[in-house]
Amino acid sequence: MDKLQEVIKYLKGKKVRFADAREHLFREREIYTEDTRVERITEQNVSGVGIKVLYENGWGYASTSAKDPASLKKAADKALALARHADKAADGRVELAAEPKHVAKFATKIKEDPFELEISGAVGALLEAGELSLKGKDVIKANAYLVLRNMRKKYANTEDSLIETDVFTVLPEIQATARANGEVKSRHYWPAPMNAGYEYFRGIDFKTNARRIAAEAREHCFAPSCETGPTTLVLDPEHLSLTMHESVGHPTELDRVLGYEESCAGRSFATLDKLNKFKYGSDIVNLVADNTLEGGLASCGYDDEGVECQKWHIVKDGVLSGYGVNRELAHKLKMTRANGTTRATKYSDVPITRMPNLYLAPGKKPLSFEELIADTEDGIYIEGMGSFSIDQMRLNMQFGGDAFWAIKKGKLAGMLKNVTYNAISYEFWRNCDAIADERAFRRAGFITCGKGDPMQAAQMTHGASPARFRNIMVRRAK
Amino acid sequence: MNRTNSIIEKILKKPVTDHVVISHSSSETQHIRFSNNSVNRENLFKLEEEVKAEVGFDGRTGSYQTNDLSEEGIKHAVKKAYEAAKLLPKDPEYMPPVTKEEAAAVKNFKPAFGELSDDRKYGILRDAFRDIKKAGLNSAGSFSSNPYTVEVHNNKGVHVSHSNCVSSLYLTAMTGNSSFKDFHISKDFSDYDGKAFVSGIIERTRLSKDPAPLEAGKYTVVLAPAAVEELLMMFLWYNMDAKAIDEGRTALSARRGERIADEAVHIYSRPDHGRVGLFPFSPEDAMPYAEFDMIRDGRLANAWHSRFYAAKKGVRATGRAPANVIFKGTDKPLEKLIGSVENGLYVNSFWYIRLVDLMDGIFTGMTRDGLFRIKDGKLTGSVNNFRFNQNVFDMLKNTAEIGKEKEMVYTSMPPITVRDFNFVSKTEF
Repeated sequence: MDKLQEVIKYLKGKKVRFADAREHLFREREIYTEDTRVERITEQNVSGVGIKVLYENGWGYASTSAKDPASLKKAADKALALARHADKAADGRVELAAEPKHVAKFATKIKEDPFELEISGAVGALLEAGELSLKGKDVIKANAYLVLRNMRKKYANTEDSLIETDVFTVLPEIQATARANGEVKSRHYWPAPMNAGYEYFRGIDFKTNARRIAAEAREHCFAPSCETGPTTLVLDPEHLSLTMHESVGHPTELDRVLGYEESCAGRSFATLDKLNKFKYGSDIVNLVADNTLEGGLASCGYDDEGVECQKWHIVKDGVLSGYGVNRELAHKLKMTRANGTTRATKYSDVPITRMPNLYLAPGKKPLSFEELIADTEDGIYIEGMGSFSIDQMRLNMQFGGDAFWAIKKGKLAGMLKNVTYNAISYEFWRNCDAIADERAFRRAGFITCGKGDPMQAAQMTHGASPARFRNIMVRRAK
Repeated sequence: MNRTNSIIEKILKKPVTDHVVISHSSSETQHIRFSNNSVNRENLFKLEEEVKAEVGFDGRTGSYQTNDLSEEGIKHAVKKAYEAAKLLPKDPEYMPPVTKEEAAAVKNFKPAFGELSDDRKYGILRDAFRDIKKAGLNSAGSFSSNPYTVEVHNNKGVHVSHSNCVSSLYLTAMTGNSSFKDFHISKDFSDYDGKAFVSGIIERTRLSKDPAPLEAGKYTVVLAPAAVEELLMMFLWYNMDAKAIDEGRTALSARRGERIADEAVHIYSRPDHGRVGLFPFSPEDAMPYAEFDMIRDGRLANAWHSRFYAAKKGVRATGRAPANVIFKGTDKPLEKLIGSVENGLYVNSFWYIRLVDLMDGIFTGMTRDGLFRIKDGKLTGSVNNFRFNQNVFDMLKNTAEIGKEKEMVYTSMPPITVRDFNFVSKTEF
């Protein structure tokens, strides 16, 4: 019998209502370059076992980096003791949604394991990008960054599930900073982070993009400021990944909605009474959660509650249609099953509801990016992520961007600077009146989404085609 | 000597190069999280022990971190760090390990701390839930205790160690349409007065009920210590790196020698403060943290210097983040600051602060968990939350009064009164 199954058997003997054990290896290599030097390379290889226990109506969690049977039993006893304490302060019966027993394996499809390769290749590519950026006029700084990650997990629970997952992630970024005309402006190139092997990194064209961002960083320094006032925005997929993350992904995590995250991440305006009624966006807005998306950062086969990853609508035809739901809270929505989006970052972290892969579905009518711009008389086109902030109920949001262009008479008419926009989140999505079709669909995503207490950083993919938003309040940053 | 240290010593006796640094950290965390007046979230215990090996080779440095503390595991970490170093190009900013002479400047201290029993911790929470429920309110928060030890050893004979503990209770209480948050941070909670702490929160939470509508604009504000910490730390983090200042990449680059704050603003670091700050030396390499002024007499006094950049400039290294940050306070209690404001706002805390403009030090964020109207020196009720877009230099220059410091985990901050704080929009609650 597997050591995890042994500890589960031990806990069954202690009359727990539910328990699971997760052996979790977290390997990560981060490479940072600054100009033509390697600023630092960090590599970590951290593993252990986390044990979660439900005793009556109290949860307890304990973890250990030692994996011998005695240490696992000790951790199990500690988790049980904490669960008993929690049960004394419980405020209602815990109901777990059913999940079929899974005996399964899942692995990211990769050709090259990045941890089996020497780091010099990746370092060379990043330094070369930095060198090329620094050749740009007035460029004073070039930074590059690569994260290679592998999370290998084994999971067992009291319902006899036994699941193994092996996920690889690649996240690269390069950035150039120019100083000219009394300004300092940065521009980045951020290929979509992917669950993939090293072959994905090899396929990225850093050279062309290093030159481009160097030139655009400088051009940004000479750009005129935007005007303050309501205007039309066209937002690119990378930029939209951040707006949907903050204004749709987070407010539809059911634990937030029900107040469980009040003390840190906050709550949500998207309350249960609004489900299937609330106009979250215009009729053309469809926001889809999909943890089965191939290469998606949250695509892990089975989550850390042993629930199979799934696909569902968060917003359908503009109406709030779903939430990210764990096994404990599913019954609050009369759902019979959680939707497979509960994850933990490391072995010592408690699995919590995390944002799924979430994307804005492409427009159904044929519309290229060029046609979208041509159809826009006057406005601002924003690329990339910049400043971002939103209140704890996910209503008042303010975003900047990485680069901005004026749109005049259906054409891009030069860069702008100092652009921020401010909106109430659902009003912003209601003002979406055009979305380019699937030809313009691009992915982006994050590996540093903070939630939980102690804070955990989770990863998820987003995606969109460029989309247009009317009557959005733009304010000059200074 | 424990087993891990014996292994480290053995490895350092025959170092693989003339640059081997091994840091060793261990901690024991109990973290109880609650919401809806119930322990129903993360309720965890974790023992974590890790080593990080740093190996230098011919002007290059590699590192590797693991929690495999067997002899084989630590040797493997050293080997991987060495392999990484050999593959890298030469680093023009390479620095050799800290020497014994350098490490002698570590201002170590031995804080007294005690561990709380499970019964005490859960008991404190049950008492709080009882009082908050009785007041007709809801609550959420966390109670955490985290004793830890950090050691750094290298092949130049440096061995430094520091043990400390942070215990903290964060509690947000809520009415149906408002909230108020407070916290108690301590080494052992012997100074915790549960009745006073919870009743203070209940009083302010009741006052926060039914926030009145108010338009955005410029207001005189009294910022609570938590709000000062949140905004000031974000500003310092983006702007204080000495190399970035010299390269013209921060808001301070063009403001050296200029007035950037009211003359009364004095911000400094003191490694042996004893109650705020996590380590008296860098947990990466044992570099001693320095006591130094950051902002004094209204001007930039000293920026943050890495070991490399300090050596290049011939100044003392502070670390790219110092031991702690202290905003020198006065003996004026918070109530006195509020009492001096005829018409303004009291901000209990901020939320989601982000940079808007790097070169002018402009940040945005929201008010959260307590925004109160001040009329004729008294809190008269709450108002809807605001978004601010604030130039931090203006905030520091418009600082009219400074109150008594409150100690937090990494900082000690006073409440301050600021004229013309720039709120740009409101939200729906």
